[in-house]
Amino acid sequence: MNDSNSLHWSFDYNYGAQNPQFAQELIGTLRGYDPEAGTRSTQTGQTLTHVYNVLPNYWRGYNRGGNAETLSIGTAVIERSKRDNLWYYSVEYENTTSGENLRMQFCCSDENYRPLRDNWSVDARNSADDEYAQWACAGYFTSDSEVRLRINGAEIVAGTVDVSVELTCNWALFDVIPMLARTIQAADDGIDIAVLEDLEQLRLKGRLGFLESTLTPIRLEGYYLYGAGLLPSYWWLDAHGDIAIASTFFETLVLREKMGDRV
Amino acid sequence: MNKRPNILFINTDQHAWDAISAYGNPYLRTPNIDELHRNGTSFHRSFCTDPVCAAARSSWATGLYTSETGVPFNGGYLHPEIPDLGQLLNAGGYKAFHCGKWHVPGRNVRESFRTLYYGQQDIGAGGAAYYDSASTHAVADFLTNYDSDEPFYLQIGFVDPHDVCEYLHNHEEKHIPNPLEQGIVSEDDLPPLPENFDYDERETVLHRVCRRVDDALIHAAILKGIRDWDEFHWRYLRWNYYRFIEKVDAEIGRVLALLRETSRHHNTLIIFSADHGEACGSHQMFQKFTLYEESVRVPFIVACLGEEIPVEKDRFNETHFVSGVDLFPTVCDYAGIDVPEEVQGLSIRPLAEGRDAPWRDYAYIESNYWGRAIVTDQYKYVTEYKPTFNSNSGVEDFYPPGPDVEQLGLAQLFDRQNDPGEMENLVGNPTYNEVVKICKNKLFAQEARLHRQQIVHPSPRRVISNWGGRLRTYWQMEDSH
Repeated sequence: MNDSNSLHWSFDYNYGAQNPQFAQELIGTLRGYDPEAGTRSTQTGQTLTHVYNVLPNYWRGYNRGGNAETLSIGTAVIERSKRDNLWYYSVEYENTTSGENLRMQFCCSDENYRPLRDNWSVDARNSADDEYAQWACAGYFTSDSEVRLRINGAEIVAGTVDVSVELTCNWALFDVIPMLARTIQAADDGIDIAVLEDLEQLRLKGRLGFLESTLTPIRLEGYYLYGAGLLPSYWWLDAHGDIAIASTFFETLVLREKMGDRV
Repeated sequence: MNKRPNILFINTDQHAWDAISAYGNPYLRTPNIDELHRNGTSFHRSFCTDPVCAAARSSWATGLYTSETGVPFNGGYLHPEIPDLGQLLNAGGYKAFHCGKWHVPGRNVRESFRTLYYGQQDIGAGGAAYYDSASTHAVADFLTNYDSDEPFYLQIGFVDPHDVCEYLHNHEEKHIPNPLEQGIVSEDDLPPLPENFDYDERETVLHRVCRRVDDALIHAAILKGIRDWDEFHWRYLRWNYYRFIEKVDAEIGRVLALLRETSRHHNTLIIFSADHGEACGSHQMFQKFTLYEESVRVPFIVACLGEEIPVEKDRFNETHFVSGVDLFPTVCDYAGIDVPEEVQGLSIRPLAEGRDAPWRDYAYIESNYWGRAIVTDQYKYVTEYKPTFNSNSGVEDFYPPGPDVEQLGLAQLFDRQNDPGEMENLVGNPTYNEVVKICKNKLFAQEARLHRQQIVHPSPRRVISNWGGRLRTYWQMEDSH
């Protein structure tokens, strides 16, 4: 592990009030992650889990006067298991700055693009001291390719997806990018992909491409995602085929723990 | 309209007037704000009261200009005796709710409104990526559960596209390759540089000291970080800015869809606006804090998705000057609540209904405590007060300046009809001496109607002292030249 603080610009938020804590926590989290300790012989039906430490990219996560012990503002846990040629995902995302915790459940076909399948759900809980306490949403496709969301008995259309479009969930990209890595690298301009962000927001014109490689803090291959309504995000794949760092516009997810393995 | 309407005030943050696809901008897609425009009236001549978050928002909350509210910059404090909109609406039989960004320092939003969502860490300057989606969830929960007979007022403060500030902060201490070097986007993907990328260097001292010089009073670190930007960096700033707007447009879309689905849309008035704009490369400037058009001109739409509230639809009002002070009396008008005498704003309701009304013939804007602007049909006049001490005591008295011809500093005059990009400062050209005089008279007449109050809170006093000291130093240099 390279301890240099010269992180790649796409996930270097080690400045201002975050210097040197951001680099220390990013490198420390990766150092604590030991892929060899995980179970490496997962059978069908077993669960593959990645746990990410969520670091804020800006201004100490707006944690004004808050906990200075750690920069971390939360955790993301991605669990998935395969049954009957479908991948069942359960994602928990906790954010101590917003106070909102999300639990998302969805399933995808067992294909490299991880196409999203009926049905999915989002359960949100707010720990802040306000009237909004919780919220639930269930989503499905209609026969007309509409994406519909049911919210407390009301139903809205999130958009329409042409049958030719490869639609997945942004949380499945933690598998899609490793599986499509060579395809993406071979494509000069990247590949098209549509994303249902957090299972709510349809981003139809996304593009996944290869960025470059880096050796700091470990050997990583970088990929980007951008498109209409999508700020560029950067995804860094390690030598074990896991997304070790995912830096979206506002936060950087750093792999802390892995259990199980891909089939 | 048989009963008092529900009122939904949706606001975005740092949203320049022209960053809406329905207004002809081809570089982004805002289908949901476009829908508001189709269902309402867009005010072409809409200006914030002060191009910075807290100041502009203090005007929304009170109907006063920022030299009256005690919040002439982000570090101000609202004078405690001034009533806010939430207090008036609650007293007038409405249930007043707040969700998202508030940013009116000195006033606890939770005491004036019922808060649907305000963040685990109270929402401050930015953080849309954390807060906006949660705000939409809170509003969805509210709209699908509200069962009171009383009408509601709900203000939703979305943070985006303010996160473009974080995009800029990201450049403070590291070099980020331009997007073509990154290989992420092609040149064809990028919007062009704005036509007014250049600027006339004859700016006010206040403007230069706040935003141009190496040790600028506001965000000097960003300024330093972007000094070596090439054309593509600037164009990529614009590209990113538009993505932030598309994100917040999608949030607005879910709110509107749920409003329709719950059938509340027939009797819900929707007002959409932004606290201030974004320079986005115009005049080689970023963010706000200046009195140029991109920084001070904001969207203002009055709409109804149903038919019960008479609002002229799919229409631009290109005649009337609308200001951030007008939100307060407009909401009160629709709610049937008397407006306090001191309020400076006017109700836009008759204009939204297509009726005529006695109206102002200019917009008045303040900036950075000492900056002032008057916008008329043909001209924009920008000036500044020098940071002088009280003539009797010889010390800073912390009264916002004006109207005082002796205290005026430099000025800029732009011909809005022939120079919409504000590229040539006409001050000093004898042909325009009379225009300057007329604008100055309008400025002083407006300022004579203000109830300026002494700033008493120590925190904004420190800002005024610090900024005033720096400005005096620059004025000494200016005078010696």
